[in-house]
Amino acid sequence: MKKIFSYDIVRGVIGQLIGTPIGFGLVAGIQALLGRPLNAEPAYVVGAVFGVLGFLIGLGAFSDWYHMVLGEEVHEPEEIQDPPGARRYWGLSFDHKVIGVQYGILSMVLLALGGTFALIFRTELAASGRQFLSFQLFNSLVGLHGMVLIASILMGIAAISNYVIPLLIGARDMAFPRLNALSFWVAVPASLVLVSSLALGGFETGWTGYAPLSIRGPMGIQLFFVGVWFVGWSSILGALNLIATIVRMRTPGMAMFNMPILAWSVLATSIMALTATQLIGLAFQMTLFERLLGMSFFDPAGGGNPILYQHLFWFYSHPAVYIFVLPGLGVISELLPVFVRKPLFGYRWIAMSSLGIALVGFLVWAHHMFAAGMEEYLRVPFMYSTLLVAVPTGVKFFSWTATMWQGKMRLQTPMYFLLGAISVFLVGGITGPMAGTVSTDLHITDSYYIVGHFHATMFGGYIFPVFAAIYYWFPKITGRRMSEKLGKWHFWLLYIGFMVTSFGQMRIGLLGMRRRIADYDAALGFDLPHMIITIAGYMVAVAVLLFFINLYHGARAGEPAKGNLWESRSPEWLAPSPMPVHNYDTPVVVVGEPYDYGLEGSKYVEVNQPVAPAAQAAD
Amino acid sequence: MSDAEIEPRKKVLIASANPLFAKGLQKVYGEKWGAESVDFNLAGSMEETLARLESWQPELVIVDYDDRTIHREAFLSHFIAGDRPMQVMLVSLQASGEVVVYDRRTLTPAQAEDWMGVPARPAHNPAKLKSRSGNMKHFLIAGTLVIVSTALISLLFFAVGLLPDQASTQAVTIDTLFNAHFVIIAFLFSLITVFVVYSAVVFRSKPGEKQEGAYFTGNTRLEVIWTVIPLVTVLGFSYWGAQNLAEIREEAAQPLNVRVVGYQWAWLFEYPDYGVTSTTLYLPVNKQALLSLTSRDVIHSFWVPEFRVKQDVLPGENLVKQLRVTPNKVGNYEVMCAELCGGAHAYMNSPVQVVSQAEFETWLSEQVNAVEADPAARGQKWAEINCTSCHTLDGASLVGPTWKGLYGSQVELEDGSTVTVDDAYLLESILDPNKLIHKGYPPNVMPATYGDLLTDEQIQDIIAFIQTVD
Repeated sequence: MKKIFSYDIVRGVIGQLIGTPIGFGLVAGIQALLGRPLNAEPAYVVGAVFGVLGFLIGLGAFSDWYHMVLGEEVHEPEEIQDPPGARRYWGLSFDHKVIGVQYGILSMVLLALGGTFALIFRTELAASGRQFLSFQLFNSLVGLHGMVLIASILMGIAAISNYVIPLLIGARDMAFPRLNALSFWVAVPASLVLVSSLALGGFETGWTGYAPLSIRGPMGIQLFFVGVWFVGWSSILGALNLIATIVRMRTPGMAMFNMPILAWSVLATSIMALTATQLIGLAFQMTLFERLLGMSFFDPAGGGNPILYQHLFWFYSHPAVYIFVLPGLGVISELLPVFVRKPLFGYRWIAMSSLGIALVGFLVWAHHMFAAGMEEYLRVPFMYSTLLVAVPTGVKFFSWTATMWQGKMRLQTPMYFLLGAISVFLVGGITGPMAGTVSTDLHITDSYYIVGHFHATMFGGYIFPVFAAIYYWFPKITGRRMSEKLGKWHFWLLYIGFMVTSFGQMRIGLLGMRRRIADYDAALGFDLPHMIITIAGYMVAVAVLLFFINLYHGARAGEPAKGNLWESRSPEWLAPSPMPVHNYDTPVVVVGEPYDYGLEGSKYVEVNQPVAPAAQAAD
Repeated sequence: MSDAEIEPRKKVLIASANPLFAKGLQKVYGEKWGAESVDFNLAGSMEETLARLESWQPELVIVDYDDRTIHREAFLSHFIAGDRPMQVMLVSLQASGEVVVYDRRTLTPAQAEDWMGVPARPAHNPAKLKSRSGNMKHFLIAGTLVIVSTALISLLFFAVGLLPDQASTQAVTIDTLFNAHFVIIAFLFSLITVFVVYSAVVFRSKPGEKQEGAYFTGNTRLEVIWTVIPLVTVLGFSYWGAQNLAEIREEAAQPLNVRVVGYQWAWLFEYPDYGVTSTTLYLPVNKQALLSLTSRDVIHSFWVPEFRVKQDVLPGENLVKQLRVTPNKVGNYEVMCAELCGGAHAYMNSPVQVVSQAEFETWLSEQVNAVEADPAARGQKWAEINCTSCHTLDGASLVGPTWKGLYGSQVELEDGSTVTVDDAYLLESILDPNKLIHKGYPPNVMPATYGDLLTDEQIQDIIAFIQTVD
């Protein structure tokens, strides 16, 4: 029993279980003192907030800061010994590699959950007519599918950034290790709150939470708001940390234009996450207040404006799309040269295109609102800015193509996923301009076309690259390799399943299938396409299941990874696997360009560390 | 360079960060010139080299031109500034062993140009030249494939037919833009896919092969080209898009005014010029309809796929939005709500009938003249407009309880008690639906506003109608 309590996460959950009733009781008690009948909604909201704080206190996330406030000595993060083995992943750790893996685990749990939600309502939609879901549950699942997977993606990019970025730039850790731990751990109770919205009746607005629909209806929406609000904190603090790390923690002699290209993408993403996330937090917070306190921000019945909500919401939620995909695109640029044995074509252009996407990404949000009823003239400037995104995105595609041209491509599992990423993101990219020109968008907005287009950008820009990254860096984390054979099964099932889903959705969307409907008229003739999409959806699920099996099997009994197994020029592969606790013994020395594959005798960095002896034997 | 130029005991400085390079050259030239006639000195960095130039005053400097830590401009200015006799020999091992010699006294501006331009990285070696003609062949094959693939995919798109029927002049305009998008999609898809697949198939390594790819790191001219061409294209497309938008918003002189009211979960169409209200949207063909859209509760969205255009329907008196549609094809269509509006969003559809002008007039006059004497018949009409999207007449349970056999039955309430459905119960449930909660149907679903929306007479008509449903 005592052993269980020594796991920080257990104490955290207990903290949340204690905090929630305290918050609930506080509000309920005040209501009772005033002689009012119980109004449960504010009690649940305060309970949820207290629960998150209770988790963090129980976990010990604030302990060091508390001692600092009292003027007491605390250990430097570097001096702290994590518990050995897999146990360290279940507790508070300040090591960026542990936190990276923790982010990864949370991301995968949320991926499985969000994917399961999709399978449930996908099954409902396999045929016309209503099968087994109530309207309210259908709507709740659609909304949670969206938001749970957004949280999963945020955790996933944080996992890659946290684990890989300090290694790539030769740093010993992130700039602010304690803040780093807090940014991860706040997302754990936040995810619990988010999913528990189902227990309070769910919500019927989808992930967009448009007012005034969100102001009526079940109170599950409040936990949805609170959960997202705290996930937002995770994102903002993590981004702050990454910017400081990339700007200040590079190994001496590594110029910005000489750092691995992934660092540029993560920098661009972090700038966006740091500055835009507040807006969705604000939009949700205002709706929460409108429900609790009757402040009429958005409901026209009280003098509010529902369009205002959409502006606030999309000012984050459009850049969010780039927050999700830029790290993935960075992974493509980072790994492509390794697997085609050729320098990255146009390094500076690719680096600048990430910043270009980040900049233009801030100026396009209202293209989600072409049919929403905002000022009509505004649609034209937003059409121009939206189509401009095609320019830096095109630079990336052309540069990748030129990188592959005349390369000596090695078709290992990560390379399969890179090719999948490029072709799926291509589909997502080229189907975008149709939603950018206003008059065509008036037809396709809020239809399944948008569903297909959006999922293609997410799969191409995040899902496929993140799988490539996991297959690539998994041996660095565990010292073992994942199965290439299972990896290729995983790839083909995912690729074919996804392409069928996406093309099917776009096809019926153009013909008149609306988004987010629990049922459709059989007369539309969409029964067969929906059945095919559903089967393809299950293929995607089987693929991800194979991936989980591969992950588990690889960690337990995978072939030991020997030395620089991808023959990469990157510093992390010149050090032993699994990575030593404080990364590099001596500072990494930069002696060349990062991607000069094919330039004989050149090196990117020198790492003064005994590489596993098998490094030479690999030849 | 002849050996005679090197007088006995000449001083030779070798500048390279690579010790192997320096040692190797020392050995080669030491044997060539005779070790006793030459003094060698090795410098491993730029600072060291410049310092030795001053302190040691060599006659010949051998520079490793593959070493990028050497700052050429600084070196050149230093070289031409002095007046002591000095020669510089540039040796590149990587660029096929190129050797160039410059003399301080005879250096011409053209030579200085050359010096600055000598590639630090190998660029023009014979292997590269050979691969260039091979490259041309690959480009031609891939380029042809792109053209073929673009044509095939475009053909496929138009053969399959990606869009629903065109039933409005706006749809005709919008579809020209759609078709341009389809061709661009076919082209861009082919362009990238062909080159990527070609690279994967033709250039890939055989299993176990350890060869590296061709070495080139970028090409600024290419980057500028593939930045500027897309930039011009998207600006052009945006301009066209703006024209297209203006065209579909063109106002006809005397449009038919229709007020469209959306509410959870049905549509209502009012013709204010004729005092007619309908649950079907009747429109005369070839006459522009000016729809003024408003909602009673949350946001809905008006979409008839065959008309192409869509407009969200907002609550709030100051947020009435307009949409212009000119149907050009007689037929039956459906308007559906495209913005998630909760509950029975999926069923928020109403029929749209585009009819000839004559039929439209006939329908209008029928509507205007139809005054029912029977309260239940009137009630049925009010119910169709207000109630039956949630309360079925056939026994099915939708959002609210069905009306079939409701009147006179015993209803179990949420608090466990039962009540007999009579006029008083129905009236109360219409005016304040949150008071007596029918078991299984949660509160706060039915709007509590029907007392304001309907006249007392209309409510009595509806109750009379409910009595007849069994």
